[in-house]
Amino acid sequence: MSNSAVDRAAHLTTLRTAPPSRRRARGIAFPAAGASSAGRGRFLAVTVGIIALLFVCALAGLMVGSVSIPAGTALSIVVHWLSGGWLVTPDWREAYEIIIVQTRIPRVILAAVVGASLGVSGMVIQAIVRNPLAGPSILGVSSGAATGAVIVMRFGLVTLGAFTLHIAAFLGGLAALTIVFWIARTGGQMTPTRLVLAGVAMSAVLSAVTSLLVLTSPDPQLAARVLFWTLGGFGSAQWKLLPIPVIALVIGLAIMLVQARRLNLLMAGDESAVALGLDVERFRRGMFVLTAALTGITVAVSGVIGFVGLIMPHIVRLLVGADHRRALPAVALLGASFTIAADLVARSIIAPLELPVGIVTALVGGPFFIWLLRRDARSLGVVK
Amino acid sequence: MTVRAGTQTLVDDVTLEVPPGMFLGLLGPNGAGKSTLLRTVYRMIRPDAGVVRLNGEDAWRRAAAWVARHVGAVVQDMPAEFPLTVRDVVAMGRSAHKALLEPDTPHDAALIDAAIALQQLGEFQHRTFRTLSGGERQRALLARALVQQPQILVLDEPTNHLDIHYQLSLLRFVREIGVTVIAALHDLNLAAMFCDRLCLMDRGRVVALGTPEDVLTPARLGEVYGVDATIQRHPRTGTVWVLPG
Repeated sequence: MSNSAVDRAAHLTTLRTAPPSRRRARGIAFPAAGASSAGRGRFLAVTVGIIALLFVCALAGLMVGSVSIPAGTALSIVVHWLSGGWLVTPDWREAYEIIIVQTRIPRVILAAVVGASLGVSGMVIQAIVRNPLAGPSILGVSSGAATGAVIVMRFGLVTLGAFTLHIAAFLGGLAALTIVFWIARTGGQMTPTRLVLAGVAMSAVLSAVTSLLVLTSPDPQLAARVLFWTLGGFGSAQWKLLPIPVIALVIGLAIMLVQARRLNLLMAGDESAVALGLDVERFRRGMFVLTAALTGITVAVSGVIGFVGLIMPHIVRLLVGADHRRALPAVALLGASFTIAADLVARSIIAPLELPVGIVTALVGGPFFIWLLRRDARSLGVVK
Repeated sequence: MTVRAGTQTLVDDVTLEVPPGMFLGLLGPNGAGKSTLLRTVYRMIRPDAGVVRLNGEDAWRRAAAWVARHVGAVVQDMPAEFPLTVRDVVAMGRSAHKALLEPDTPHDAALIDAAIALQQLGEFQHRTFRTLSGGERQRALLARALVQQPQILVLDEPTNHLDIHYQLSLLRFVREIGVTVIAALHDLNLAAMFCDRLCLMDRGRVVALGTPEDVLTPARLGEVYGVDATIQRHPRTGTVWVLPG
């Protein structure tokens, strides 16, 4: 080796040193504190940029609609509302306030929460199956949730009250996941490839079941309702709908951030991850259930919205790198911005009618995905 | 110990003891069970019978992270799907030493710097892993194993993808850093040059165990590999030198 002998000896000595203090430094870590300091300034700059983007998208989401409200007024109303009427003296029409507070704020929050949930779920699923082309829909959870909801619509089951649809969607997603698990585990280890193939097969069967239910239905309106729902949308946003997805996102993201170091190891491959000290099978199973729950809940509140969980993680990795300690918070913010913007397009492009937001995300995400495939098929592991 | 997969026995009643500081080379034809044996050491495969003891403790009675603090492994899979930088990959080696949420400390950074410098990866450290050549990748994986601060280094075909210069420097390096090394090797001459002891395996069993002189004999090479070989001494180093044909 060309290092001088002195350097070499010094490096070897460093490698043998124990941590300076026996007491372990514990405490909440700022994401990736200290790691690759060269990228740290960039990480902060990108984060500030994404937060600014989120702010702009959210503000636009409050302004645009059947009644357009100027940015200044919209902001004043939000500040007024947040401060409980203390900070700003109202100088606007009362109808504006009702529109903003009762309709648009919950809608923007719902879109943001769903986008963030799909973004982080997608990122974690890609690490779990070690394939950057995977997404929340690949494991059959989305189609399971859709099937659950369609069963409720088809047979008019409303026994559980207003949330029947949501509960059915959640349970459908979980049931699909359990079956995918069972298929993937048959005959030994649960490998990423088996998981993906089981998920694809499951999705195919479930969409056939959904179609069958719709086609044999006596209700001629059902097809349209199901179609609208399976393409996703935030039209049903209300305050009372928000607590469950918000809590799920907060808890889910917290767990993922705590486990971020281990998620990183999954990207190294199973063999390496084990050698680096991770109980791979157990960890993968736990993360799988977590992402399934998060995805199931988003489908329950907003229908199936494609491509967010597939595309956002890619963009984030290009911006801040693949380390989950940085990438997870970034993908939550970017996913939120993207769905708010997509919803904005969906409700203004053919106003006063609304497009299902899933159409917008697919029209943007699909071509991006194709571009990604063509740009870098080899490095994505598509071609070995 | 014994390892089975279905009806096949991959490692058949093998007992090996590796004292601290020894460089043990595992030899044998493809499918002899070398990799399987190594995988039991870093806790990838649980033996169907028998135990793996590290410092006298049963590896399967301890957590995966405990084993990773004692055993560093250079394995065949490459983290090339995601845009991880070389530094990200090397830093993964610290994981088993960290509590959840514990940030990377200056101590970790110093270890990572040292391993990167030793493997001469300084200029690549902010490049993504997948843009590296095969040899550079192998060195990055060795650097990752080094920051685990292992007492035992497990190497599965470490000289794959390396040119002759890096083959020699890698083996010389791991021999000199004073850790116990268990390596599966294909090149008999490299094995003879660097290993203290060789273990020749065939169909899951140990055929011979001892110094290179004891293990590498024309009769055994004929029996295990089915090749006719002449054994000589290396003119300069004096180590056993195998000339096939």
